[in-house]
Amino acid sequence: MHNLFLKTLYDKRSFIIGWVMGMAFIGYLMTIFFPAFHQDNGLDQLVKSLPPAFQGLVGSLDNLKHLSTYLGSQLFDIRIPIFLSVLTILLAVGLSVSEEDKGQLRTLIALPLSRTRILLIKWIVIVFICLLATLATIAGIELGLLTIHETLDIMVLVHLGGMMWLLAIALATTIFGIGMATGKRGLTTGVGVVITVGSFLVTTFAPSVDWLKDYEKLSFLHYFPAPDIAKGTIDPINVIVYSVITITVLIIAILSFRRRDVR
Amino acid sequence: MSSNTQVVNVAHLTKHYKSFAAIDDVSFSINKGEVVGFVGLNGAGKSTTINIMLGFLHGTNGSVTIFDQMVTPQTAHKTHQKIGFASGDMTLFSNLTGKQYFKFIAGRFGVHDNSRLKQLSDLFMPDVDKKIGDLSRGNKQKIALIAAFMTSPELVILDEPSSGLDPLMQQNFIDLIREETTKGTTIFMSSHYLTEVIDVCSRVVLIREGKIVKDIPASELVTDGGKKVRLVSKNIVAPPRTAELIEKKEIEDGYELLFVYKAKPTQLQQWLSGVVGLIDVSITDHDLKAAFDDLYELETGEHA
Repeated sequence: MHNLFLKTLYDKRSFIIGWVMGMAFIGYLMTIFFPAFHQDNGLDQLVKSLPPAFQGLVGSLDNLKHLSTYLGSQLFDIRIPIFLSVLTILLAVGLSVSEEDKGQLRTLIALPLSRTRILLIKWIVIVFICLLATLATIAGIELGLLTIHETLDIMVLVHLGGMMWLLAIALATTIFGIGMATGKRGLTTGVGVVITVGSFLVTTFAPSVDWLKDYEKLSFLHYFPAPDIAKGTIDPINVIVYSVITITVLIIAILSFRRRDVR
Repeated sequence: MSSNTQVVNVAHLTKHYKSFAAIDDVSFSINKGEVVGFVGLNGAGKSTTINIMLGFLHGTNGSVTIFDQMVTPQTAHKTHQKIGFASGDMTLFSNLTGKQYFKFIAGRFGVHDNSRLKQLSDLFMPDVDKKIGDLSRGNKQKIALIAAFMTSPELVILDEPSSGLDPLMQQNFIDLIREETTKGTTIFMSSHYLTEVIDVCSRVVLIREGKIVKDIPASELVTDGGKKVRLVSKNIVAPPRTAELIEKKEIEDGYELLFVYKAKPTQLQQWLSGVVGLIDVSITDHDLKAAFDDLYELETGEHA
C-alpha cells in the first residue's frame, strides 16, 4: 500500500472482483451456448424472418456456423460492447469526478505528487483493470471450450482480446479524460453515455439505416469488427485509431488538469 | 526580515469567481517558527486562501511563494514534501484503515521511522483498525491530524483543524502545537475558536469579506476580544467604568448584569471583590463574532 497505483487497485478491489467474475461468466456462458446455435437450423428461418434493422442486433447467420466467428459476432461484436460501456463509464467516472466530488482528489493533491503523475497513475489503473476484464473474458471462453469439448486457435482469442482491450482503453480514457479535464460529473457521465450508447446504436443499425452510414466512422465500435478479427483479419488502421484517440485525449486531459481548480 | 527566514509569502492574492471576489488583494508573510492564526467568519476567504497556498486553486491575481517556490496548481507539489496539511472537513480514503492510511502517507513522504507516528498515536489514540469510512468525524479528524504531523513537516497548514475533536482531544491538539513550536515548526492555522488561537498562536491575521483587516500579535486579540461577564447579584450593581454594558435586568432572585470587559483581568478581579450580594458570576471569551465586530469597527475607525 506504499504507492498510489496499489492503493487505487486496493480501493477498487470489489469492483475488480465483480467485473472479472462477470466478464468470465459472460465468456463462459456464450461459449457453452455455441452447440445450440450451431445445431439449430430453425434459427436460420427465425433470423431471416426478422426485419433487416433487427438482423443487425443478431449478427450474420454465416458467422454462427464456426466457433471463432460465432464468438466474434455473438460475444465480441454484440454483448461485449454493452458490458464494456457500463464498465468503462463506471470505472472512468469513479476514478475521476467521483473522487473529486468526495474530496479525495484534494487529499491526493496535498501529497508530494504532481498532478500529471496522479492522472497517469489513475490512467494506468484503468488500463490494468481493462486488461483484467479482457483476460477474464478469455479465461471464461477457455473454460467454456473445455466444457463443450471444443478447441480454438489461441491466436483468435489473442487478437479478439487485444482489440477488445484497446477498445476498452480508448472508451475509458475518453470518459476519464473529460472527467479529469473538467471535474464535471454531469458532463462526464453524459458524454460517456452518448459515446458508448451512441457508438453501439450507430454500428448496430448503420447496415440497415442508410443515413447512418455517413456517421459510422464516428462510432468507437466501427474500429472493432470482431467477426473479421475472428477470421484472422486485423486492420492496423483500427489499432492506430484507438491509439491516437487514447494518446490525444490523455495529453489534453493532462494539460487541462494541471492548471484547473480542484474543488 | 531576511528572505531566508520567510517560509510563506502571499502577495496581493485575489481570487475571482466571475464578478465575485472570494479574496481580494490578500498579503501576508510567515517567518520560520511562527504560529500564525488565520481568523475570520464563515465565507471570509480563509479556505480559499489556504486552497491557493496548497495549489488546489489558482489565484486570479497575485502570488504565493512557499519555501522560495512560486506556488501554482502545476508547481505546488514541489513544496508539499515539507508541508503537513489537515482540515476539519478533510476527506480521507474511506476504503483504507487508519493503519493503511498512515502506511500510505509514510510511503509517499519517504518516512521510514515510525517513532513520531507512535508518539502521535499515543497522544490522540485513534481507532486505526477500522475502515476510515466507518469512523466517527472525531476519529477521522485525529487520523488527519496525525498524518499531517507524522512526516515531521517544516510547515503545517491547518484549516479548522480541531472542529471535530472533543474537548480533551482539543487540549491534546493545543499541546501538540506547543510542542511543535518548540521544535521550530512553522504553523499556519485557520480557526473559529478564539481561545485556541490565543492559546497557541504568536500572531493573528484577520480576514473579512476577502480582505485582510488586521495582522496583529495574538496578545492584542485578547485585549480586543475581551471577556464577557455575566453576574447575578441580590442588589443592583453598576458595571465597571471601562466595561461595555450589554444588558441589565431584574430576574427571579435578584439582578443580572451582562457586560464586556476589555481592561486588565486584575482590575476585574478587584471590581468583583467589591460587589455586594454576589450570587453567581461567569466569565467567558467574548464571542468570536463580537470580537471581530470590535476589531473591524476599530479598523474602520483607524481608516476613517
